[in-house]
Amino acid sequence: MLRLERVSKGFGKDTTGVAEVSLELGPGEILAVLGASGSGKTTLLNLVAGVLRPDRGKIFLGQADIAQWMPEQRRLAYVFQDHALWPHLSVLDHLLLVMKQANRKEALGLLEQVGLGSLENRRPHQLSGGQRQRVALARALAAQPRLILLDEPYSALDPVLREGLRLEVASLLRARGVSALHVTHDPDEALAVASRVAVMSQGRVVQIDDPARVYAQPATLAAAQAFGRLNLLPVKVSGGRVAWGSGFIPVQGIREGLGLMAFRYENLQPQAGGEPGRVVEVYAGRGEQLCQVALKLGNVVVALEATLGSTVELAPSGLLSVFSQENPLDKS
Amino acid sequence: MALPLLVLVWRGARHLGTWLGVWDIALYSLGLSSLTSLGCLGVGTGLAWLAFRARLDPRWDTLLLPAYLIPPFVSALGFLYTLELLHIRPYGVGGMVLVWVSHYAPLAYLLLRPTFETRLGPLLLACEVHRVTGFRRLRALLPPLFPALLASWGIIYLAILGNYGVPALLGLPAGVYTLPTLAYSRLFSPLSSSPVGEAAAIGMLLGLLALPALALTPETSGEPSLRPVLPRRVGLAQASLSGFALLGVLLPLLGLLHKALFNPYSGVWQPAFVEAWALPLVRHGLLNSLGLSLSTTGLLLLLGLALATRPGAVRLLRRWLDLSYLLPGTLLGLGLILLLAPTALYATPWILLLAYVLHFAALMLRTLEAGLGGGIERLVQVGQLFGLSSLRAWWRIGIPLLRPYLAAGAFLVLPLALSELTLSALLYAPGSETLGVAVLSALSGGLFREAAAVGLILMLLSFLLLFLPRRVG
Repeated sequence: MLRLERVSKGFGKDTTGVAEVSLELGPGEILAVLGASGSGKTTLLNLVAGVLRPDRGKIFLGQADIAQWMPEQRRLAYVFQDHALWPHLSVLDHLLLVMKQANRKEALGLLEQVGLGSLENRRPHQLSGGQRQRVALARALAAQPRLILLDEPYSALDPVLREGLRLEVASLLRARGVSALHVTHDPDEALAVASRVAVMSQGRVVQIDDPARVYAQPATLAAAQAFGRLNLLPVKVSGGRVAWGSGFIPVQGIREGLGLMAFRYENLQPQAGGEPGRVVEVYAGRGEQLCQVALKLGNVVVALEATLGSTVELAPSGLLSVFSQENPLDKS
Repeated sequence: MALPLLVLVWRGARHLGTWLGVWDIALYSLGLSSLTSLGCLGVGTGLAWLAFRARLDPRWDTLLLPAYLIPPFVSALGFLYTLELLHIRPYGVGGMVLVWVSHYAPLAYLLLRPTFETRLGPLLLACEVHRVTGFRRLRALLPPLFPALLASWGIIYLAILGNYGVPALLGLPAGVYTLPTLAYSRLFSPLSSSPVGEAAAIGMLLGLLALPALALTPETSGEPSLRPVLPRRVGLAQASLSGFALLGVLLPLLGLLHKALFNPYSGVWQPAFVEAWALPLVRHGLLNSLGLSLSTTGLLLLLGLALATRPGAVRLLRRWLDLSYLLPGTLLGLGLILLLAPTALYATPWILLLAYVLHFAALMLRTLEAGLGGGIERLVQVGQLFGLSSLRAWWRIGIPLLRPYLAAGAFLVLPLALSELTLSALLYAPGSETLGVAVLSALSGGLFREAAAVGLILMLLSFLLLFLPRRVG
């Protein structure tokens, strides 16, 4: 469906928008592009949309290289962070304007599907934030695009509304078999909606894989950091092992030397003979309790049921990764 | 549009000797404009501060708007007649400063009030919460305001420096010249060996004095921030704004009404409108002014529509045209005389139309730019992302969204063109007089009541701007 081959776009001498990005998106697939602000994800989206032209590389939609096509020739749809609705048009007119053949009955059916059944005559300013985002989505679907681009579409919504809406939209997109490139900086959103995740850092795609796998086995430090819930401890690796508690634990990543050991809050569990530590802070979370535990190697946050001031012995629940500190983008 | 100015410089450069004889008037103009604009800024800033501290609703701004909308020479005429009733003759510097302050202090207020709302709210709150008072509070609040204060001063300075009507009405009878009135006098002086060259040299001098202020460009003020500051001295703020509105509008209105409606010789109610209409000059003036202002507005609307799809061109053109709007009108008028004197356009209404279009185009393009800058360009782009052709996207999305901005541009240009004086006084020819010229001619012919009647009509027409759509007002 969509294929990017070594696409690069720079902004001036010192700023790289995206560099050598290659990725592929299959029919009906939702690919989340996850990354921090300035990582190049919106630039990537704008390159696909045709708002920007790449300096190098190819962008294929189907069999055609569309890199130099005008935006209106690409048959795409875009769902924007700020909705970008047309203030002078009614909800229904938004759909009719972008349809290839204006079909009122079809448009009304679509509005019904996205939960805007009785609001077809309203203008954007008469709608709530969630309703506006639904109009933006309905407009995107009405255009019958080959691909929908979503640019942090829920970031302007409150967290509770955001959680419900993103699941609803993902289901709708899957049900209609629409391919989507979904840019977000919210790891929960990426995990919830995407069939695959591409993590971007400093203009490059540093890992692209199944969301659960990127979360559990990040290929780079940047990929690990993109999902949050991360502890980083400076360690010395010797023979692929790190001293832990009364013994050693095997690690993946570098085999010898100094590095940063990365693990999620849930990767340490209480276990006799593990690294001893004292609970110095307790935080209430949604469905879990988080504790800050002072270990010999440093303080870590762990998902743990323990009381303030108690002593716990912690051991890793799986293979932990150690990354080189020199170049956080590369797995050493 | 730069051509008239270039011709002016080329011609004026050959008469630079004129500067030696007029340096005292140049210094006088400079001092008068700088200090009066500082005074206007002081009054306007004070009023804006009071309104801001009192958390007055923006509707209170409307109270000061009419004082700014009245053409300065009509204000001058009104003040003249009102003060005469009190046996005060406001000729000379005092009267000129009074009219300018009553006219431009509201402009300072209108320019600064939004900046106070956007910039000062959080800063003032922080001062109050952290008990920062007195001089330390000034240190916290003034520096962020400096760019806006400086830009406002620049705009007012340019307006006063280039103003022709007020010194013509109140300065000349007392022998007080400013550069615009001097340029005008030299141009029509039978004693001068090269009237056009000398006027061009004086125009150059005027341009030189205006140049530094052109660098002080106004900035946009952005969205109002949240500012839970408690209202203070509400009564004082309301009284000050009302008092100033009274001074700026009611005083000149009173004088014009009295002069136009009462016959001082018979002492009875006798409106002078019929007598004024009977004067061919007034009839011509009204018809010409109406024709010119409507044609200018129409042409600029067409220009706006034609340029709407090219936001880059709008920005570029507006920057250039700003020169011919911000620089004293005398420069543009003299430049056009020099440029078009050998052509058939000279001494016809067409030269006036050209001057009006060049002078007022910046206003139309500014409102258009405000619309385009407000995200319309992006919304059109969104349409194109959804597959709409460029033309269709502009037709269905861009133009409907720009309509209020174009209307606002028309609302701005129409009354200003109707009461224009500086360009008209330089470029009119017998048969192509405007209303402003008619007022001046009536005055110099001793027809004071007829002049008051026309001034009254101009004042009422200028209030058309009060109906400017809110979103761009």
